[in-house]
Amino acid sequence: MLDAGRHAKINLLAYSQVEEVSGEVGAFQLKVRKKARYVNEDLCTGCGACVEKCPSTVKDEFDVGLGERKAIYKYFPQGIPSTHCIDAENCRQLGQGKKCGICAKVCQADAIDYEQQDQLVDLEVGAIVLATGYDVFDPSVIPEYGYGRIDNVVTALEFERLLSASGPTHGHLDRPSELALRVEIAALEKELQKATRQIDKLEEKHGKKTAEFVKEFKAGKAGEDGDFERWAGLAEKAAVAEEKLAPLKKRDAAAHTAKKLAFIQCVGSRDFRFNRFCSSYCCMHSVKEAMIAHEHDNETTSSIFCMDLRAVGRGFEEYKLRGGESANIEYVRGRVAEITEDESLNPIAWYESTTTRQVEHETFDMVVLATACVPSAGTPKLAELMGLKLDENGFFKTDPLAPLDTNRAGIFVCGCAQGPMDIPESVVQASSAAARAAEVVSMAGEVAVGGS
Amino acid sequence: MVLGGGIAGIQASLDLAEMGIQVHLVETLPCIGGKMAQLDKTFPTNDCAI
Repeated sequence: MLDAGRHAKINLLAYSQVEEVSGEVGAFQLKVRKKARYVNEDLCTGCGACVEKCPSTVKDEFDVGLGERKAIYKYFPQGIPSTHCIDAENCRQLGQGKKCGICAKVCQADAIDYEQQDQLVDLEVGAIVLATGYDVFDPSVIPEYGYGRIDNVVTALEFERLLSASGPTHGHLDRPSELALRVEIAALEKELQKATRQIDKLEEKHGKKTAEFVKEFKAGKAGEDGDFERWAGLAEKAAVAEEKLAPLKKRDAAAHTAKKLAFIQCVGSRDFRFNRFCSSYCCMHSVKEAMIAHEHDNETTSSIFCMDLRAVGRGFEEYKLRGGESANIEYVRGRVAEITEDESLNPIAWYESTTTRQVEHETFDMVVLATACVPSAGTPKLAELMGLKLDENGFFKTDPLAPLDTNRAGIFVCGCAQGPMDIPESVVQASSAAARAAEVVSMAGEVAVGGS
Repeated sequence: MVLGGGIAGIQASLDLAEMGIQVHLVETLPCIGGKMAQLDKTFPTNDCAI
């Protein structure tokens, strides 16, 4: 990432989108919209003082909605280019028409520019490599798995963020239900604190304790004063908040990290209702996540529910076996039919074990759905823009004997834009696509050999 | 031009750049890195993803 950002021969256009494509192999003309960041990239030092002071908080896309970020943000800490960006929609100053300007005030580099506009960049290129990646299948369309309804059912990518030391829980396997609980507690505590502050002022002003006042007020002996109605209201509010807080805090104190995990394979793939194809990497992905969870806490046990576990790749079968032997992973052959929830918010997986031929159920702390790899949302639009064909699954169409070539000469495709694949395969394809593109560019006579 | 700044896009860009070819790497999101940057570790070696 860093190398790509620094390389003299790479012009990095992040936060940009292709709008127009014309021309043909050897001489494509493109129009790219460089979206306004409202932060001057050349001046921003990435210090993050603006983030600290920004008053607008929204869900963080990088943490797949499990964490929060500010309206001015860096997509992720190690992100390249190492610069910030204002999300105009959620910014008080830009999107909501309020007076704010805090980030501009705290920025010592004077990098904030509310007037910045989108820029249209014209490019002339010899070849195009499409590496537009994939999207994660949205499992909320499978009602029986309860994703979105049952807090402790998460996607594999969400689980990955929970495991990550730079993620929303700093690598602790806190369950989403407990995260939601903590948010609720924090909101109530804030409300209580606000009420208490106002009550303290009233106590000082009138020289009596709230308990005493409430007693008098209820008995109608408090007398007349403009403050009294408000005081009584605040006292009531504080009492209600305290009452609500007690059981929530008790639940939070009893909470523990997730130690018993279930992984459900083929969620949205190899399922004729959604996608017929196999997403290929999810089997190993689940084994990996179960192993990392076990590394975090040796008491963690995992059950991987699958039709079959596909460990096709160098070292993959050994990795799978190692997981079973040393990371408390049990491989269960059976497809989970339904997930329900008990009163402690633990998900229960119902399945038919094809080895025992019995319908069984088991309670877990958390269920991870190994969601399918589906074409990224922008794929059809891009295909139309470039005049490319898509295959029956919606990925860019290629020929089995020329797996990197699209139907247009000079446009190549690699990685998950072409179909589901894992990281090593993506890297192999990327290098091959680069070689194919280089061939085209050098034939067009545009190569400056020995430039690097 | 390389479209997409995930692991495949970054690899393709670096390879082309190393061959001395000028590359324009276009990414929709504010930073390059793609899905791989969101991962904690990668299989089968359990190496850090970033």
